[in-house]
Amino acid sequence: MLRRLIAASCSKFPLAYRGLATATTPQVSGLSGARLPNSQSYITPKLHFFNSVTPDGQQIPTYRVLDGVGKVLEGAKEPEIDEVYARRLYEHMQLLPALDTVLYNVQRQGKISFYMTAFGEEATIIGAAAGLKDDDEVLGQYREMGVLLWRGFTIDNVMNQCFGNEEDFCGKGRQMPVHLGSVDHHFHTISSTLGTQIPHAAGVGFALRRDPARRGKNVAACFFGEGAASEGDFHAGLLLASTIPCPTVFIARNNGFAISTPSTEQYYGDGIASRGPGYGIDTVRVDGNDVLAVMSAVGEARRRAAEQGRAVLVECMSYRVGHHSTSDDSFAYRDRAEVEDWKKVDNPIVRFRLYLELKGWWDSTAEQELKTRLRADVMKAFKRAESLPRAEVSEIFTDVYGGEMPWNLKEQRAELAYLLKKYGNTWEPWKTELSRFRNKGEELMKEAK
Amino acid sequence: MFTSTLRKRIPRILNVRFSSSVEPPPAGGHLPSVATSQLLRSTRDTALRTPDLVWVDEGSSETSESLVGGRETRKMNTYQAVRDAMSVALTKDDDAVVFGEDVAFGGVFRCTMGLAEEFGRERVFNTPLTEQGLVGFGIGLAMMGHTAIAEIQFADYIFPAFDQLVNEAAKIRYRSGGQYNCGKLTVRTPTMSVGHGGLYHSQSPEGFFMGVSGLKVVIPRSPIQAKGLLLASIRDPNPVVFMEPKVLYRSAVEQVPIDDYTLPLSRAEILVPGSDLTLLSWGTPLYHCETALHMLSSPAPTLEPHIPTSLRTAKIELIDLRTILPWDVDTVVESVKRTGRLVVVHEAGMTAGAGAEICAEVQKRCFLKLNAPVRRVTGWDTPAGLQFEKFIMPDAIRVLDAIVETLSY
Repeated sequence: MLRRLIAASCSKFPLAYRGLATATTPQVSGLSGARLPNSQSYITPKLHFFNSVTPDGQQIPTYRVLDGVGKVLEGAKEPEIDEVYARRLYEHMQLLPALDTVLYNVQRQGKISFYMTAFGEEATIIGAAAGLKDDDEVLGQYREMGVLLWRGFTIDNVMNQCFGNEEDFCGKGRQMPVHLGSVDHHFHTISSTLGTQIPHAAGVGFALRRDPARRGKNVAACFFGEGAASEGDFHAGLLLASTIPCPTVFIARNNGFAISTPSTEQYYGDGIASRGPGYGIDTVRVDGNDVLAVMSAVGEARRRAAEQGRAVLVECMSYRVGHHSTSDDSFAYRDRAEVEDWKKVDNPIVRFRLYLELKGWWDSTAEQELKTRLRADVMKAFKRAESLPRAEVSEIFTDVYGGEMPWNLKEQRAELAYLLKKYGNTWEPWKTELSRFRNKGEELMKEAK
Repeated sequence: MFTSTLRKRIPRILNVRFSSSVEPPPAGGHLPSVATSQLLRSTRDTALRTPDLVWVDEGSSETSESLVGGRETRKMNTYQAVRDAMSVALTKDDDAVVFGEDVAFGGVFRCTMGLAEEFGRERVFNTPLTEQGLVGFGIGLAMMGHTAIAEIQFADYIFPAFDQLVNEAAKIRYRSGGQYNCGKLTVRTPTMSVGHGGLYHSQSPEGFFMGVSGLKVVIPRSPIQAKGLLLASIRDPNPVVFMEPKVLYRSAVEQVPIDDYTLPLSRAEILVPGSDLTLLSWGTPLYHCETALHMLSSPAPTLEPHIPTSLRTAKIELIDLRTILPWDVDTVVESVKRTGRLVVVHEAGMTAGAGAEICAEVQKRCFLKLNAPVRRVTGWDTPAGLQFEKFIMPDAIRVLDAIVETLSY
């Protein structure tokens, strides 16, 4: 019955040796050979504390391919991409701010209830999407709409979800805007609860490993911010994926802020990457403003995860240029100048555009054409989504349970039907609201006794 | 992949386990009534005629009323029946896996004994000690269409996974517009008091889950019930929290059909028919209720002064609710309309316990039929103080007293 005690004694048994992380231990000549049953550790007579995962005490380096003016760094391996693919990357990076700008303003006008932009993280998101296979299972936090767009999710789909209209197949208008999801695009539906998707991703990875059709071919990819990494579910998810183990690529978007909390108040260690080795997970830190570096790092991470059936951690360093959400004014906790400076000093879109121009694949005419086209596409989808009614009111009660609807929901559905029939055409707040739904609640009123 | 190192761990862990006092109390040690309970089915014939039982055979849909010939039963206690159910599930469903803390060596209550050896470490495996993690892991598996049978070692430790169960498991189907679900997740967990469990090996948290629409909560009372309800839970298209009364793991013994069968969820069972009072409970306290009924009809001399002669022939209807969410309102209400009186018994504290929900609904539906206030016999609104358990948990005398008071109202 003394479960905790028993469990503690259980953990003293040796785990499978993974050959990881031990290289960072300072070499102390000592009593080699004598070991404790739960580790591969050498015994040493010297009292030595350590607080870094790198042997020299420096922070974990950041992998980068392109410098600030779009040139390939000396010694860096340029990914083999052609002009068509490079333009596709760039166009998707530009699509994010095109959508964000319109939807942000639409929220400001009160036409949608909420929105979250991805300003400053375009390279992280599109680079990661490009590094994954389109049928890898993605579990996101909420700022990863670009992954869906990369996979062919349409602008109409985005608008329909944000407006919660009758064509919102992501959630039938039940969830807040940007809570996207699509089985066809292997993108698990977003929920607001931070970090909960991290242990899910371990389970999804394990399911892929158990599926003969997908074993060694697909991975689970899990996105989260550096703030979410403080949740217990982060610890649990990485721990499970490493011990069981599961082919899961964890992608941390370290953009410096969790709402108002700067990362200096989120952790004291060396970011999120330093935690990976503690779990026995292959880890890399990458410049999240460099789309080619992110693409290469995530591509290599997914290759390792798929081949080894094990977890990999990628930390992408960027800066959240936009407000946390439409409910947040970030200038309450950071200087406007700081943000403006950052946009100029290191803008992921500009950096990649300079690379394209050096290659001769892009110019200002193409830039102007793209921006005009994207803006037109977004506005067209916005106007269409805005004009559509919401789903039927009766969808309130469906999908709570699979199989037969329980009696309490049946009764409550009937009670709402009765109340709508009684007051729906006279009680102004309901009358106005009903006019926004397909059938205006009539499917329920018809059933009312 | 699982390494040979992991396999080598087993015998060493076994040594640790068996040298420690992790075993449940001896059969009947803390619940004398279970050993002789009439609620348990001790013969093959009665076991095969368990009400509502549905055989699950390839190409067959017979109920227990037909096709009992040729069916076999075996004497099992509750943990063996739970193990048997998981063995059936693993045999018939290649996508089924069983995992949790210490399940690989057989589990601290032996419910997974031999499963790892039989089905392999890829399908029956230990997780690190993280309840939020292992439930989240199960949700991920279930979202991919795999059958995830997770174990939380004690229901007392389900709370770290409360967020995963309430905000995630229960809402995935709804929030995704039906695109995703984790209906193939079942979370098993030992529940209720065990005589000496103190604060954290005694709890009955079913009430906390009663308002979590999207989840199902099931509690069996016996080996036959455990197997049939667990198989139904595993196959139900919704996430299910399956709570196993741990004091019954070894003490409750029945003949259990060895074939695959299920018992229906969301359906209560009338164990003893009656017409004067409805006594409703689930799990362990059902046996206290049974004892109380005996004491009512033939009280010991010391109790005789407390039980008016006129009440001794009262016919009490005893109902096992079995599924806490969504609960079987029809059976309960139909019973109370006949009897006019209701006593609900559960181990969890009274305030906002499952009994509160049931009594409110019954009061609404049976207002004109009630001859006495609906009454709850529950644990006090205190934690389960170790040395005080006898006075905290509802036992036969408290149930008896409530019956007498309600009948004489």
